[in-house]
Amino acid sequence: MHNVLLVIRHEITKTVSRPSFWLTAFVFPLIIFAFTFGSQLLAQGMLDSDGEVDILPGILGEARETEPRPIGYVDLARVITQLPEGFPSEAVVPFADRAAADVALADGHVNQYYVVPTDFIKTGELQLIQARFSPLQQLGTSPFEYILTYNLVEDANVAARLLNPMARIERQSVSVPDEAVPEAARDLAVAIVPTAMLFIFFFVLTMSSGFVLKSVSSEKENRVVEILLLSLRPRELMLGKIVGLGAVALLQMAVWMGAGLLVLGQGLPVAGLAAMPLSGLLPPGFIVWVVLYFLFGYLTFASLLGALGTLAPNMREGSQFTFVVLLPLMIPLWLNYAFVEAPNGPLVTVLSLFPLTSPVSMVARLAATSVPLWQVLGSLLLLGATTYGFVLLSARFFRSDTLLSGESLSVRRIARELRRSIV
Amino acid sequence: MNPVVSVTSLSKYFGRFRAVKDVSFEVYRGEIFGLLGPNGAGKTTSIRMLLDIFAPDGGTVSVFGGNMTEAKKNRIGYLPEERGLYQDLGLEPTLLYLATLKGMVEADARRRLEEWLKRFDLYEHRAKKVQELSRGMQQKAQIIATLIHDPDLIIVDEPFSGLDPVNTRLVKEIIEVQRQAGKAVIMSTHQMYQVEAMCTRIVLINQGSTVLYGEVGQIKRDFAGNAVNLVGQGDFGDLPGVLEARRRNGAWHLTLDAGTSPQDIFHALAVRDDVRIERFEVAEPSLDDIFIHVVQQAGGVSSEARTYA
Repeated sequence: MHNVLLVIRHEITKTVSRPSFWLTAFVFPLIIFAFTFGSQLLAQGMLDSDGEVDILPGILGEARETEPRPIGYVDLARVITQLPEGFPSEAVVPFADRAAADVALADGHVNQYYVVPTDFIKTGELQLIQARFSPLQQLGTSPFEYILTYNLVEDANVAARLLNPMARIERQSVSVPDEAVPEAARDLAVAIVPTAMLFIFFFVLTMSSGFVLKSVSSEKENRVVEILLLSLRPRELMLGKIVGLGAVALLQMAVWMGAGLLVLGQGLPVAGLAAMPLSGLLPPGFIVWVVLYFLFGYLTFASLLGALGTLAPNMREGSQFTFVVLLPLMIPLWLNYAFVEAPNGPLVTVLSLFPLTSPVSMVARLAATSVPLWQVLGSLLLLGATTYGFVLLSARFFRSDTLLSGESLSVRRIARELRRSIV
Repeated sequence: MNPVVSVTSLSKYFGRFRAVKDVSFEVYRGEIFGLLGPNGAGKTTSIRMLLDIFAPDGGTVSVFGGNMTEAKKNRIGYLPEERGLYQDLGLEPTLLYLATLKGMVEADARRRLEEWLKRFDLYEHRAKKVQELSRGMQQKAQIIATLIHDPDLIIVDEPFSGLDPVNTRLVKEIIEVQRQAGKAVIMSTHQMYQVEAMCTRIVLINQGSTVLYGEVGQIKRDFAGNAVNLVGQGDFGDLPGVLEARRRNGAWHLTLDAGTSPQDIFHALAVRDDVRIERFEVAEPSLDDIFIHVVQQAGGVSSEARTYA
């Protein structure tokens, strides 16, 4: 047992001492953080912080990025009488008529100008004359649009509200609805959370079980395994690896899930929704289910990939077959739309009950909707039984002769070893 | 004296292939025992059965006077032929891990590792990753991993491969020191001159079976043909009973007929005044010659073991 503990410690220190582990564990969530909070900061620049008009920095900043020169206009309707407070006068240039504006356009003083015709109020028609066609220029809110709105309503706050009436929505959730069909306000949240769970669980399970494959096959490839076998039984080696790398995977999942949930909790306003407490999004005891599904899922796929590692003479050959082993985990990813549209539908229910797809599917489903307890417990029971079977099967692959063999990995060999292990 | 290792009628099948057939030998304290054989003869399989890595299909293995136990495994140092180290780990943590797996307390392992690293000129490289070390350095590191826990039984498979002459001599000296300290050493190698220089007894396995077993000197004497080597002045070609006389580099090799013994030649030379003898010896084949002779003679057919007590 002492040597098993040494293997556990060795696997943990070996894995966490690699810079790539920390890069994967932290940089991945950091990138998500950067995207989320970066865009949030940008968005905040466009929002009214205390009810006053603070829309200018966002509009002007955006306009300067796409068009650094002032915008010209010919106001034949005489709508524009003043600029909003704080609006830089050099950002727009009025022209008396189109001829004057054309000269400025030809000279390059302006790259575009608007014509507000005399019947603008009646027809709403405007003309934009550009030196060159630039479709991207029209994506954001134009400073001229803001000036026009401001002069029409003669109030900066009203103008800001008209331009973006739902910029400061605050969402509050009283309870999780039992109905599968979410209320409209929850649509985006319900779409994001299960999908995020799908991806996080998929990546954590595939990466952590991949660690086991890498560890076994690298010891074969580096030819250390024969020395180890004098001190350890093959199954002790397997136990040490699976437990040690499981601890590493748990750490990685804690980082990813923590970061993911934090981003989801904080990031929803960016998506146009108010901050929603996670307790309102996720069912009670969600973390307990997550840990249980992770442990069973990890043990199942780590055992399978570990068994593959015993047969593969090197990491490269082992990796060729990982796709087949991890395929069941990918199916829920491909069908991720179903988790949002019909989380209690027959397809998702089957996926969350079938043992090889349930670790990813049930967690995503629990995040999407309320799942009957009997289904969760039944799914866990099936998964637990499958895990037990696969761990026993994998242990039969962990033998001295397989670990010391340099034979190439092929479908025929896997089938042969499978027959040998089952019989 | 009780043997440290006693292997009796060992056999092993891989599927229908019988890799080892009825192999027996004993190894004692304070000796370097040569385990020899051509590639694929069954040497490594025999070692793995001895070490309890493979379970034998027949025969018995006794180590330190009984069946193998986990505690006994910690008294064994093994340098396998197919060997390596964690390439992406530092030298020091790698060797510490392997030493602690052999039952050493980490503090003791650290102290003894420092001594070994200094002895092998690897101390300055202890923080480097294994993959940054030369092949020779890695080879020396593997020898440290074999010996760091001060084992009573040392099994080394091709210990000199990858080493330059300086380090080969160093490793030879270390193995000899271990022998003098009373350790039992089993050495498997294809370098027959090393076996002749270091081993007291050998077993030669061919096609899974023992074909030679005994003391090196006795085996060589028994394989000696009816011939003598002579160094001296005069013509030795006209001696009675000599079938062929060859002279090379100032030395004579006389092949004798069946009715003439080296003793007869010695007597014949003693009464002659026209020759002067500087050296006279019964011609013995090298271990290399014996190895090739036995293996070729066996061909594809299993042969009876020749035992030389």
